[in-house]
Amino acid sequence: MKEYIALAVLWPFGGAALTWILGRKQEKAAGYARGNIMAAITVLGEVAVVLGLCFAGRLTGNAGLADPAGVFYPAGQKAGTAAIVYWQHICGGTFCFAVDGFRGLYALTAAFMWAVCTLFSFDYMAHYPHKTRYYFFLLLTLGATEGVFLSADFFTMFVFFEIMSLASYVWVAQDERKESLRAAETYLAIAVIGGLCILMGMFLLYGNDMRNLSTAGEIMLSISRQGEISRGRIAAAGLLMLAGFGAKAGSVPLHIWLPKAHPVAPAPASALLSGILTKTGVFGVMLLTLRLFWGDKRFGTLILILGLCTMLTGAVLALFSVDLKRTLACSSVSQIGFIFTGVGAAGIFSGGTAASEEGLLVSLNGGILHMINHSLIKLVLFCAAGVVFMNLHKLDLNEIRGFGRKKPLLHAVFLAGALGIAGVPLFNGYVSKSLLHESLLLLRKEWPLPWARAAEWIFICAGGCTAAYMAKLYVALFWEKNSEEAVQKTYEEKKRYMKPLSGALLGTAAALLPALGVGAGIREGVFNGESLWGALLSLLIGAGIYLLFVRPVLMKNGRYINRWKPEWDLEERVYRPLLNGLAFVLSVICRFLDNLTDWLIAGLRRSVYRDSPLPHELEEGNVLTHAAGVALDGGRNIFRREKTPRERSFEHKLAMFAEEQKENRIMIGRSLSFGLLLFCVGLVMTLVYILLI
Amino acid sequence: MMILTAIFIPAAAGLILLLGPEWKNRKRLRVFTGAALAASFLAACAVVSLSMGGNNVFTGGNSMFTGGNSMFTLFNLTTGLPVFFKVDGVGCFFAVLTGLLWVPAGIYSFAYMEHEWKEKRYYGFYLLSYAMLTGLEFSGNLITLYLFYEGMSLLTLPLVLHNGSREAIMAGLKYLFFSLAGAYMVLFGLFLLNRFGNTLSFTPGGVLDPTLTEGREGILLVGAFVMLLGFGVKAGMFPLHAWLPTAHPVAPAPASAVLSGMIVKCGVLGVIRTVYYLFGADFLRGTWVQQVWMTLILLTVLLGSMMAYREKGFKKRLAYSTVSQVSYILFGLATLQQEGFTGAFLHTAAHAMMKCGLFLVAGAVIFKTGKTRVEELSGIGRRMPVTMGCYTLLSLSLIGIPPFGGFVSKWYLGRGGVNSGLPVFDILGPAVLLVSALLTAGYLLPISIRGFLGGEETGGKTEREEAPFLMLAPILLFTALVTLLGLFPDKVTAFVTGIADVLVKEGLAG
Repeated sequence: MKEYIALAVLWPFGGAALTWILGRKQEKAAGYARGNIMAAITVLGEVAVVLGLCFAGRLTGNAGLADPAGVFYPAGQKAGTAAIVYWQHICGGTFCFAVDGFRGLYALTAAFMWAVCTLFSFDYMAHYPHKTRYYFFLLLTLGATEGVFLSADFFTMFVFFEIMSLASYVWVAQDERKESLRAAETYLAIAVIGGLCILMGMFLLYGNDMRNLSTAGEIMLSISRQGEISRGRIAAAGLLMLAGFGAKAGSVPLHIWLPKAHPVAPAPASALLSGILTKTGVFGVMLLTLRLFWGDKRFGTLILILGLCTMLTGAVLALFSVDLKRTLACSSVSQIGFIFTGVGAAGIFSGGTAASEEGLLVSLNGGILHMINHSLIKLVLFCAAGVVFMNLHKLDLNEIRGFGRKKPLLHAVFLAGALGIAGVPLFNGYVSKSLLHESLLLLRKEWPLPWARAAEWIFICAGGCTAAYMAKLYVALFWEKNSEEAVQKTYEEKKRYMKPLSGALLGTAAALLPALGVGAGIREGVFNGESLWGALLSLLIGAGIYLLFVRPVLMKNGRYINRWKPEWDLEERVYRPLLNGLAFVLSVICRFLDNLTDWLIAGLRRSVYRDSPLPHELEEGNVLTHAAGVALDGGRNIFRREKTPRERSFEHKLAMFAEEQKENRIMIGRSLSFGLLLFCVGLVMTLVYILLI
Repeated sequence: MMILTAIFIPAAAGLILLLGPEWKNRKRLRVFTGAALAASFLAACAVVSLSMGGNNVFTGGNSMFTGGNSMFTLFNLTTGLPVFFKVDGVGCFFAVLTGLLWVPAGIYSFAYMEHEWKEKRYYGFYLLSYAMLTGLEFSGNLITLYLFYEGMSLLTLPLVLHNGSREAIMAGLKYLFFSLAGAYMVLFGLFLLNRFGNTLSFTPGGVLDPTLTEGREGILLVGAFVMLLGFGVKAGMFPLHAWLPTAHPVAPAPASAVLSGMIVKCGVLGVIRTVYYLFGADFLRGTWVQQVWMTLILLTVLLGSMMAYREKGFKKRLAYSTVSQVSYILFGLATLQQEGFTGAFLHTAAHAMMKCGLFLVAGAVIFKTGKTRVEELSGIGRRMPVTMGCYTLLSLSLIGIPPFGGFVSKWYLGRGGVNSGLPVFDILGPAVLLVSALLTAGYLLPISIRGFLGGEETGGKTEREEAPFLMLAPILLFTALVTLLGLFPDKVTAFVTGIADVLVKEGLAG
């Protein structure tokens, strides 16, 4: 088991290194091909290893993939809790891993998505420079992501989370354009700040015992089991870590990186960013809600409200966007809101009575299923968007309009994704949305009715918006014709718009959506009147929004226009000025402190330790004339405004007088007559002495 | 006796270089210096291994941690004031670290100093400083430590002054002024301790005599504080940090590297000796000294990072970063708690290697391109990919990103802070460390981002111009060491925990 987990986590790292070495000489086609082959081997191997891992986990009594929700129940409540694998003496702590339901499932999803995206990248990246760098960081991130999903405590999770965040930075900055670098900067800032928030939360949670950070197995740190850590401290830790994980997940108000990063990143990387990397954040939030705050309704409520805000914000942003990938990115924000709703509802139902047991199960299943669905749908949609971009190098809806006409495969793939995410019955999004809807209905038992109804309506409206913006994309790409006929003609003549391998991959991935929709739908039993009515309501609202808002308001003269003013940007308006302002204030204070000692020393040298001229070094005159002159000058200056010129000051005059006297004295002293005079004085004194004696 | 050899070899070699005639053959000069460095390092290692006497130091519990089992008295200044050496765990830790820095940085200077003048003088003082450091680390009492401390200050001065420009001389004078001010503060404490203590020899748990100190705690606390400030000068602690960002950037790059990497750590060593071996952790725990000290430390952490964030000169930015990072170490020591103490040692090692590596990178960039300002470094990663790759890894480590050395030490420091049991600082301390980490990311990463991704690509491929192998090898070595320290710190941690067990018993209870 231990070796298996080690293999699952370390294999991609090794593969990344090998890919780097083999593909380094990019100028030569051979080197490039070698790198590609190595990357393909790595991702396919990873899928095999994780599959094996899941089976091995099953054999050792872990919960299987069929029961992903079991992971989040307190130990002992569900059968088959994890056997934890420890790696000791590493990174100043111990790594804990487990392969139980959810962890195994998501490790597998990640490996699968990576395989599809990497293989699709061969086509997508064919004409870009720095391919080896791209694959290197792609595989590096795969290893780290597997580490995050398999981790069984916060410490392990954090270590891999940080590696993942920083390695994926390079994806966003891949094409080195100015706007990419700026988006990447935002991404990096969010990643670093988020990571530090999580670290601070971990410091607070960590009592004297590493076990407090465990997220699996026999130990669960909950409000009820605290004692050595105060309540306030746990709450603070929870909020800090929520900020960190929430930022990665793309929850409001830290969703800003998604709409910036996705349009500039290569399409396969966007698919992974939005399909998998955001889910690591969701995983963290799930652990917080259901492990740390099990039974704490307030935290669950917070997550639920966050989820509702996020789904609405994302949906509205997506509706307004006229950029294909930006719309999909905003859609991701919105879908994360759906998932958060499920997680939050599960938090509210957790630790309750038997009545809430059902709600817990439904909301957890709905949340997890929606995670999987969203991952797969976004894989399909972003890759389809990638196909568009790799042919046209444009993403603006007005320019790419009509590209999809007469391209049945692309059409089918995109349609499957759109129907899936809009929650049309028989597709996968329908199943998870129905479950989430059901959990909101059950919420009526816990919440006052108006609140629960409001939540439900927000949910349905957000679903409607989803349908509306997907309709907008779909109609623009596949039904409308480009405004310029010549362009439309070239679009329609393009028959070889992707390689057969990419086509096969996309087709397979898209076929999964209805398959999952039917399979999971039957298993969860969602094909009933109530759920169908909810979906229908949502779709009707969507149709209404599309016909009454998108077509008349967001279009003008047959063109899509961006009614969302660029000034309404949370990042540019609030976060950047705020951070810059803070940095400025702090830097002023710090500069003051930094110079404080120097100023003190300079001050001392000017005052107490001044190198004042010594008395005998006066320029002119002597001490007496200096003192008297300064006093007289001072006296005179009291009555006068302007400073007395040097040659008229008393100090100078007295000094001159003294000099004159001195000169006179010297002249007299050196003269012969003075000598004779002294001689006479001597004679006289001798005479007086003789006379007196 | 081995100790004396370890001090004597570099001292003698340094003197030969300084007093001897000019060397005609540069190659021979380098071989001589290299051999002397290697011999000194080996001698220091021999001291360490002899004193461990075959015991497994990592398991702890041998005499290393309690007293030290190899002593040597050189002579007596007056009766009762011997100059003597003792080898204990702390000394060994610092001695090995010094060697690990001094030798590669020395090798690096063989290539770097081609651009500079008066190589012989530089190597002479470089070796003499090494001798002083070795003496400092193995000092057995405060008098000996003080002597070597002063010697070290004076002998590293020529390294700062080396290029002889007006700027360098002014910086050197500032360095001298601050060093002397610090040393006098230490001297004040020395007099006090001599009056109130049993002995000036370093004794785990402190030397204060309870019968003498009864009722005189006030003045002793003042003494302790003044000593902390005094040693804080070398460690670049606010308010007496101003010399550091002035003096470090003007020295030749390898000298800056060891100045920032190791010389500032002598202040840390002094603080360790003062707090844990002279006054004793228990004496200071919970007093105003601890609180004021902690406040100063946290101010320094923030101040250094912020100034580095605003600074545009590459080397000066790194020097400000040192101001901030060394106070991380002091923070760990100031928690007076086991995990904090361990974190402090880990960060001493990690920071020494990271900062040394970063300065060497700065030197390599100057050597190849002559660029010293941050904004000129766009696209440097395309020209020197290996160097800047190492820079990136070292930066990530300095920020505290796993799996590098800086993360492990920060992990210990943060936990030490939270568990220190101090009223405000238990939360504020780690929070400040993390804010500073954010600033660290802000001043280090843009250089490598713009280096690799920014800059105009001059059509097609940019020429690769890596630094010569002699310069590249030490940088690679430090990067590898930092990564190793991050992945497998347990040997070091166990060693330090062994020391901490003896020194901070209270920390165990938490």
